[in-house]
Amino acid sequence: MNFDADVLVIGGGVTGCGILRDLALRGIRGILIDRGDLNSGASGGNHGLLHSGGRYASSDTETAAECRIEGEILKRTAPQAIDACGGLFVAVEGDDEGFIARFAARCAAAGIDCAPLAVDEVRRSEPAISERAIAAYAVPDATVDPFRLTIEQVADARRLADSLFLPHTEVTGFDIDGGRIRAARCRDTRSGEARIIRARQYVNAAGAWSMAVARLAGCDDVRVLWSKGTLVIANTRLTRRVVNRLRTPGDGDILVPGGTVSLLGTTSDTVADLDVIRPTPEEVDRNIEEGSVLIPALAHTRFIRAFAGVRPLLLPTGGDGDGRKASRGFTLFDHVAQGLGNFATIAGGKLTTFRLMAERTGDLVAARLGNREPCRTATEPLPALERSSWTEPGHSARTWFAAKNPADSILCECEMVPKSTVDAVLEMAPGAEPQMPLRAIGVRSRIGKGTCQGSFCAIRVTSHLYDRGTYGGREGLGLMRDFLAERYKGTRPVLWGPQMPQAELAETLHCGLLGLDLIDARGQDGEPR
Amino acid sequence: MSVSQASAVIDFKAVADRLLPAGSSYDSCLACGLCSSGCPASGLEGLDPRRFIRMAILGLDAELTSTPWIWTCTQCKRCAQVCPMNIDVSVLVGHARSMWPEEKKPAGIVRSCKAQMLSDSTSAMGVSPEDFVDIVAETAEELRHDDERFAKIEVPIDKQGAFFFVNQNSREPAAEPEEMRPLWKLLDYVGADWTYGSSGWAAENFCMFSGDDAAWKAMVEKRVDAVNALGCKVWINTECGHSFYTLWKGVERFGLKPNFDYASLVTYYAQWIREGKLPVNADWNTKGIKFTLQDPCQLVRKSIGDAAADDLRFVAKTLVGEENFVDMQPCRSANYCCGGGGGFLQAGMKELRHAYGKRKFDQIEATEATYVLTPCHNCHSQMEDLAHHYGGDYRVVHFWTLICLALGILGADERKYLGPDLQDVGLPQ
Amino acid sequence: MNPEPRRITTDVAIVGTGLAGFAAAVFCLDRGIAAVQLGHAGALTYTTGYFDLLGYDRGRSIDDPWRALADLGATWPGHPLARLPRSTIEQAFRRFAEAIGDLGIAYVPPGATNVRALLPTGLAKTTSSIPRTMAAGAAALAEKKRTVIVDFIGLVGFSAKEFVTNFAADWPGLSSAHIGFPDLDGGAEAYPEVMARALEVRATRERLAARIRAVVGDADCVGLPAVLGVHAPDRVHAAMEELVGVPIFEIPTMPPAVPGLRLRELLEQAMPARGLRLVSQHKATRVDLRPDRIDFGYRDNFGEVVIEARTAILATGRFLSGGLVAERSGLRETLIGLPVEQPAGRGDWHRDDCFDVRGHPINRSGVVVDDDFRPLDHDGVPVHPGLFAAGAILAGQDWVRQRCGAGLAIATAWRAVDGVARMSGR
Ligand SMILES: Cc1cc2nc3c(=O)[nH]c(=O)nc-3n(C[C@H](O)[C@H](O)[C@H](O)COP(=O)(O)OP(=O)(O)OC[C@H]3O[C@@H](n4cnc5c(N)ncnc54)[C@H](O)[C@@H]3O)c2cc1C
Ligand SMILES: Cc1cc2nc3c(=O)[nH]c(=O)nc-3n(C[C@H](O)[C@H](O)[C@H](O)COP(=O)(O)OP(=O)(O)OC[C@H]3O[C@@H](n4cnc5c(N)ncnc54)[C@H](O)[C@@H]3O)c2cc1C
Ligand code: SF4
Ligand code: SF4
Ligand code: SF4
Repeated sequence: MNFDADVLVIGGGVTGCGILRDLALRGIRGILIDRGDLNSGASGGNHGLLHSGGRYASSDTETAAECRIEGEILKRTAPQAIDACGGLFVAVEGDDEGFIARFAARCAAAGIDCAPLAVDEVRRSEPAISERAIAAYAVPDATVDPFRLTIEQVADARRLADSLFLPHTEVTGFDIDGGRIRAARCRDTRSGEARIIRARQYVNAAGAWSMAVARLAGCDDVRVLWSKGTLVIANTRLTRRVVNRLRTPGDGDILVPGGTVSLLGTTSDTVADLDVIRPTPEEVDRNIEEGSVLIPALAHTRFIRAFAGVRPLLLPTGGDGDGRKASRGFTLFDHVAQGLGNFATIAGGKLTTFRLMAERTGDLVAARLGNREPCRTATEPLPALERSSWTEPGHSARTWFAAKNPADSILCECEMVPKSTVDAVLEMAPGAEPQMPLRAIGVRSRIGKGTCQGSFCAIRVTSHLYDRGTYGGREGLGLMRDFLAERYKGTRPVLWGPQMPQAELAETLHCGLLGLDLIDARGQDGEPR
Repeated sequence: MSVSQASAVIDFKAVADRLLPAGSSYDSCLACGLCSSGCPASGLEGLDPRRFIRMAILGLDAELTSTPWIWTCTQCKRCAQVCPMNIDVSVLVGHARSMWPEEKKPAGIVRSCKAQMLSDSTSAMGVSPEDFVDIVAETAEELRHDDERFAKIEVPIDKQGAFFFVNQNSREPAAEPEEMRPLWKLLDYVGADWTYGSSGWAAENFCMFSGDDAAWKAMVEKRVDAVNALGCKVWINTECGHSFYTLWKGVERFGLKPNFDYASLVTYYAQWIREGKLPVNADWNTKGIKFTLQDPCQLVRKSIGDAAADDLRFVAKTLVGEENFVDMQPCRSANYCCGGGGGFLQAGMKELRHAYGKRKFDQIEATEATYVLTPCHNCHSQMEDLAHHYGGDYRVVHFWTLICLALGILGADERKYLGPDLQDVGLPQ
Repeated sequence: MNPEPRRITTDVAIVGTGLAGFAAAVFCLDRGIAAVQLGHAGALTYTTGYFDLLGYDRGRSIDDPWRALADLGATWPGHPLARLPRSTIEQAFRRFAEAIGDLGIAYVPPGATNVRALLPTGLAKTTSSIPRTMAAGAAALAEKKRTVIVDFIGLVGFSAKEFVTNFAADWPGLSSAHIGFPDLDGGAEAYPEVMARALEVRATRERLAARIRAVVGDADCVGLPAVLGVHAPDRVHAAMEELVGVPIFEIPTMPPAVPGLRLRELLEQAMPARGLRLVSQHKATRVDLRPDRIDFGYRDNFGEVVIEARTAILATGRFLSGGLVAERSGLRETLIGLPVEQPAGRGDWHRDDCFDVRGHPINRSGVVVDDDFRPLDHDGVPVHPGLFAAGAILAGQDWVRQRCGAGLAIATAWRAVDGVARMSGR
């Protein structure tokens, strides 16, 4: 199947989705593609911290200020995706006194509200913080649900300009002629089919992969450093606010509450290969060892999952080495110097600053298309969709419980996601399609996100999908297997304590009862190895 | 029914962390659903034990704080029995009950508890010590008069230094005093050195069910004091399930100091049969009438465990004949609660109680037995009510009835719970 | 109320109420050895009901388990089943299946070859011995009988359509039907356990049978999720076949499911009647290894209890049942603190791909024993002359991937009881 649009945006992360909506608000119809699904890159593997800027205040005033401004805009325009819980910077005995002493002034320089707090007062309101705390500041950090952000932006772009999102569509090359890209050659990564997408403008928002995508268009001016970060999810919300360690950024020094859980991270390691990004036990241990200095309960909390993402950090020409020291800023490449007039790459940046990145990109693309509409994302609220609150922990449960319809069976017991939610996702979520993979349903709901990490709900949802006729053959089993294998990637490094019996039960069920180890990824009887 | 907005929302996760042992915290829940599958309250009000835990973890505290489901969970602890992590939902339910504003709690339970607080009787049916003494005296007098074999029977009250202190469910003195007679007869038969107390004699304890810890404590304290004061060696709990649990659990929970042991009447039935003091057999059961047995969860699973179940079976089989005894399934420590416990019978939630009891009804029907034996008043009432509601044609009997029947000492007017088939069997000559 | 611990003395203490523990109890009673068994709910309740002996080797199915067992030592040196002669495994396996049958759940005895049994996904797995209630399913598959698979309104996690669709290529005569279960057809979640109990009532059987008859059409066989009674499945199964008029079989379902529940309830109830002293709601919390005996302590509602046993069989299972615990720093045996053979570090516990047919190294970890199945200390010396181990806790096997759970539990229990018998002079 082939497609045409004004603009092709490559990369369904928060940046690509932001661009799609930015353009739609200017009346420009786009097609957004991702080789996986929405948020299959860094946007689905990050800390969910809407930075106040405090984190960068000490090293990069400009980025810090940018974070502050963008954070304020998002709190206004997309409050549904944000929990303005506030944040703390806390130092413990032994932390660098000089760093502590300079912190307030550095924040002030970036315009960040930063209030010193008495340590005992902080410990009273956040009892999880170590009694070895010696200094604390309050900053306006917040948390953000990146899934909700991307889903709602895609939905809004569809509403505004009939823009389209195509999952599992990977760009594999470009037809270039006369200084312009004429078509993007794509591949459906599920079926293997080829697709041609023609557009007038092409935007590369492929995050960590943007260098590779730029090269497909013959551009070698994009250089990003790959910095892998690993995070762990605790089964409990340990603090009300975000807690940052007040020191030069290091491993495991931020704890971000998210609904009913807490996210601890992150590590930062430069990697050379993007295709084997999985969290390791060693990284998890590093996070916990460092994290428990600040929050001692982390040493014995149940962790349900770990995950890793790759930060696309822009390398200044000639720079190398440490990911944490590389710039958190972003760059828009117009590729004119590379001889292309309708191609742009947006790279670097943060989740917090995605809107600004989208604005800059939108300005360039709109101008190139002769569209004079200004950017409106800084003021136009992102419509909140009831159906994207499915990604919010507890939302499904609350709605289901209030509805009192026992015939609407719960399919995911951990997160209490009922049949009706799954049906609604299948029918109307952005990127919904016939034979929707379990993984895609998981991205758009809380399926598989609870303590059992999909071990039971995968079975129940799959049966339901067969009953509905969504799956009609062995591929359904393949998709269940794929979903479970993906969940496993995240549970594997946290398998100790109560998570181990859970994993043992999962394996005995998935192999012993379902026989999933006897089939391959397409659901066919496996070739013995 | 719902909790008023003003009342505090419970942080269930925090409570769970405080009340449940580390290895059995909500954090170790696998979400496997064995508890829900095995819980008769599953599905009522949209809840079940797994969901209760999941909602606690998801922080749906407002919903859990106000759901009437906590009054349909009978706190029978079957969930913990089937759970590989030994997670006990009833503990949290008990806490939630305690947090409900008094005026919102099911009035029947609260009323029963209040009545218990009124006099030293600790009777939920408002029988005062004086009334109790009178009723017992009158009933004993009738018995001496009606049955010459028991012309000299003594029913001691407040007998200092008696070996056994026997408690008494209020239902008999209040509503069917003749039902006390079989018990007295058999105590007399074995020559037990026993007494009632005018204080603390009542068995039932609705204060535990209403979630009123202070009242529960007061209740148990009064009973412990009464037994201590009489210097009895053993407190025998009559055929009443929860009263046994509330006593030993109360003693443990509130750190009380009893100078006596506690035992269930069932244990002594078994012992007296083994010792030949109760020479019962099944010769009377010539028609091969089938009996099954309800293990009260308060007595078996929640208190003594399978040892009590063994005794119950030994007694039942001796009484009705091994071949006429059919166990209901599941049974013993795995038995389902009937749905009468936890104050459910008093809570005025009839439809829910019947729905809860459907499993019990199926269990009984599957045995195709004509009678259900049980040493628990709540079980008794609930199973009778289930028979009416679902159209079962079984009857529910106390052990004392059958024991006296087998001994040939059950009077004609002590057969209220027996069917026509047994009205004339083993009548005293 | 009792400050003094109550004491129970016995020939053997069997610690664990899983398949291994109960098999050991059966074998002890057979030999007249006085046994006290204690444990709590565990993995047993989750089983499919199939008794696997040895079904797979790295994802390849095994037709002749006996030959595969004979060759096992070559590929799996130290595998507990490779350390037992065929005669022991066969004897133990047959005796246990027979004992379970006598108690009320009949099994088709293990044969010379494995059979292909049905899974709810519409796949088949290789196993050795299957409950009679499921037997017609394996036969229907083998003979490709015209069969209708029935599922129920409100039963989540089991789809007749899924089963039928995925077997379609292999088994052309399959069709599906979706019906309501009597009194549970309002749409609310219906648990298999509740259906199974209801089917123990004659009237419910008759009503369900009528509903099934209405959808049988020209099928020669009916498949149902496993709901044919908890306590007396054979009776319920036979009655249903008679009422419906064609052979019926059960298909195992996801937890909370009936087949494991059946085994647990049956064993917990029937074994005490046969002379076992069973403490079914308690785990041992303390152990004292004395020169001439082993003491196990636990606490019930009335205080401390100590089991003084001349010998003991440790059958406490793995992580799910609590016999082993995983800590960030390593694996530990929970009750006695026995050494646990394990990969060097947590990074080596699991493979990258969860479905890697080679299985995860951690599955092979466990307690190391000598040829009598006595746990060994760090120096390779038996920890106690009277202490034996059996079942999933043993090192050197991967019962999940090899499909040898029941075989492992039962055969090693037999060998452990051999040792106990020797020590007890029986
Ligand atoms: C561990 C970690 C923690 C972080 N924490 C925070 C935080 O707390 N706060 C914050 O503000 N920022 C945080 N960030 C940064 C933030 O996540 C990223 O800056 C942001 O998500 C980048 O979004 P993106 O859309 O540009 O890229 P991505 O989300 O990576 O999206 C790129 C997409 O392109 C797709 N793609 C790649 N190649 C192709 C192709 N050939 N064809 C089609 N599609 C393709 C990929 O599948 C991917 O979905 C964190 C990053 C990491 C790694
Ligand atoms: C989902 C699932 C599916 C399965 N399917 C099959 C199948 O198809 N075929 C098959 O053959 N097998 C199957 N099995 C495996 C089988 O049922 C047994 O679980 C396995 O063989 C292990 O048996 P075990 O007795 O060694 O250990 P377990 O069954 O794990 O039993 C251990 C027991 O020890 C008790 N325990 C632990 N610690 C203590 C202590 N301190 N004191 C006292 N008691 C303690 C536990 O409470 C538990 O009862 C399956 C298992 C699961 C979980
Ligand atoms: S049985 Fe136990 S582990 Fe399973 S869902 Fe219930 S509480 Fe959780
Ligand atoms: S205590 Fe009984 S009624 Fe309450 S949740 Fe547990 S099993 Fe259900
Ligand atoms: S009424 Fe009977 S079965 Fe029910 S709680 Fe009491 S003792 Fe349990």
